[in-house]
Amino acid sequence: MENEVSELKNYKLDFHGKGSEFFGIVIINWLLNIITLHFYSAWANAKTLQYLYGSTVLNEDNFTFHGTGKEMFKGYIKLFLISFILIGGCGALFYFNEITAGIAIMYFSMIILIPIMIHGRYRYQLTRSSWRGIRFGYHGSRKDMIANYFKWIFFSIISLGIYLPWMIMDMTKYIIENIRLGDIEFKFSGKGKECFFIMLKGMLLITITLGVYAIWYWKKMIEYYLKNLSLYRNGKEIRFKSSFTVGQIFQLTVVNYLLFVFTLGIAYPWVITRSMKIIAENIVLEGEIDLDNIQQTEEDYTEEESNILDINFVM
Amino acid sequence: MPYVATYFDGYSSVPHTTELKLNAIQGLLLFDAPYKTDVSWKIEDISFEKYGNLIEIRNTLNKKEIIKVNDGVFTVEFLKVLKDNGKISLYNRFVGLGFKVHLSIVGSLAVLGVIFYFVLIPWISEKAVQIIPESYDTTLGNSLYNEYRSTNAINQDKTLALNKFASQLRLNNTHPLYFTVINSQQVNAFALPNGNIIVFSGLLNAIQQYDELACLIGHEVIHINQRHSMKMLCRNLSGYLFLSVIMGDANGINSIITNNAHNLQSLSYSRQFEKEADEQGTELMMQNNINPQGMTTLFRRLKSNEKTIVPAFASTHPLTDDRISDIEHLIKQKKYHFEKNTELESLFKAVKTSN
Repeated sequence: MENEVSELKNYKLDFHGKGSEFFGIVIINWLLNIITLHFYSAWANAKTLQYLYGSTVLNEDNFTFHGTGKEMFKGYIKLFLISFILIGGCGALFYFNEITAGIAIMYFSMIILIPIMIHGRYRYQLTRSSWRGIRFGYHGSRKDMIANYFKWIFFSIISLGIYLPWMIMDMTKYIIENIRLGDIEFKFSGKGKECFFIMLKGMLLITITLGVYAIWYWKKMIEYYLKNLSLYRNGKEIRFKSSFTVGQIFQLTVVNYLLFVFTLGIAYPWVITRSMKIIAENIVLEGEIDLDNIQQTEEDYTEEESNILDINFVM
Repeated sequence: MPYVATYFDGYSSVPHTTELKLNAIQGLLLFDAPYKTDVSWKIEDISFEKYGNLIEIRNTLNKKEIIKVNDGVFTVEFLKVLKDNGKISLYNRFVGLGFKVHLSIVGSLAVLGVIFYFVLIPWISEKAVQIIPESYDTTLGNSLYNEYRSTNAINQDKTLALNKFASQLRLNNTHPLYFTVINSQQVNAFALPNGNIIVFSGLLNAIQQYDELACLIGHEVIHINQRHSMKMLCRNLSGYLFLSVIMGDANGINSIITNNAHNLQSLSYSRQFEKEADEQGTELMMQNNINPQGMTTLFRRLKSNEKTIVPAFASTHPLTDDRISDIEHLIKQKKYHFEKNTELESLFKAVKTSN
């Protein structure tokens, strides 16, 4: 075992899904959505995620999504009720000409609701994901997320939006560093300042080139995110690298959009599977962590979580 | 026959290669796991996922453990045993039908959808308009007219003269008609559902003879009599609802497709209504003993103005050449009689000369 310390391991991320297979799932979801006037959408979402997770493989073993339509349906209902109460409440204030109070309450509740949703989404999606029976976990807290979000929004407002790249990097760092896969920890070292310059340069060049530079900008962003992402376990590491080419980014964005629009959406299953394949193949992993020896650390989630603020949903 | 399988114990990610036997008669899965031999899972206790040829099996009594088999022969046999045990849901049976069956289901549904959209929806909305009371047309028209009047400059003298001109025609109108002339270079006119007809001074300047003006009025009156605005509204609404339900998710790209698809469709709806107004308007002029050729002259004038005018007119109206030949065809088929109407002629002069 000792001589394994600095030995590089082989990792391969891949996607085995096929458009023709996914087509079956998409159309049954579509039919059931029409029949149920879209009440089925939570279950449809679960089936889609199960297929996409199951078709994504790391070292020839697939990921698994354990979330259910029922859980997500409850999440949607909660979101709907909250929005209903909020819009109703603010509408009533507007009706009685309390415009300032209405707007204030609207913004204030959004600033609380958004971090609650971000937290709920990651907590739900990660606790319902696994690989080789080893569960993912999310150790972030809702309180921290709300507090951070207040801070980020405050700085963004007083800096007239210039703080945005710092906010994005801080939020990404908070979320990623709270992810676990068994006893593997995730690290993110992206910096607001670096992100700011990539964004600034991107915005300038996109304007000058009338949008054409956007593809290079996306490529740079993906490279930056992956470069700063890593996994840790017992002093060993897995680093990430992007091998996306400009042509592939063009495929993922412009070509996919055109395919989708010109086939009136029929190409959707192929657009998704093609994209997943390109994405999986271009995320390169390098490092020494032995993936054949990850230990289960995350608690088994309970089917019914009672906390009213746990909003179970996945985008 | 044993199959090569991979077992994960749920405590670590160590893959254990093992042999899996499927006992179809007793409905059992048999394999050896590390530290425990002769493990048997009952078919009724398992849950599974299928990804291509890969079968991932879990035991519902102990969710931690997984056994995976990637073997086409096993897949077939396993699915058969599950089917015999009634463990394959309707959902999985449908997903298992294969691409060709899925494609033909979508194909036949698409045909049904097209029939529904192009035949049933226009028919239903036509019926719906009969139920909607005419007072709705008035309310809708009034609010549009008030908004329009407050933002545009009305030419009072031309308005007065045009109303006098129109009062000489028998138009079988269902609403009291009122004409308003707006000072604008646009060569255009349109009818509101409450009987208000807006004419731009640019169009009046282009028109040279009284029968052209009479034909224009005839055309616009048909839009009002046939409640074309309300029909458009009903068709647009029901068509849009139908497409939104079909396209589903309110995500960006879908709604772009839905919007554009429906806009294209309403373009042809409105072309159908324009054609109706052309034909019935021409007939109305024949009943008034006015030369129906005024309609074709009117369109030739519009055509010569088209290049310089907003393209919106050209796109929502059927191509002008087609309209002209359609009207000429109609005129040839009908017997008609017209005579010079000196009263209309002098009223037309008043419209032209007033400021």
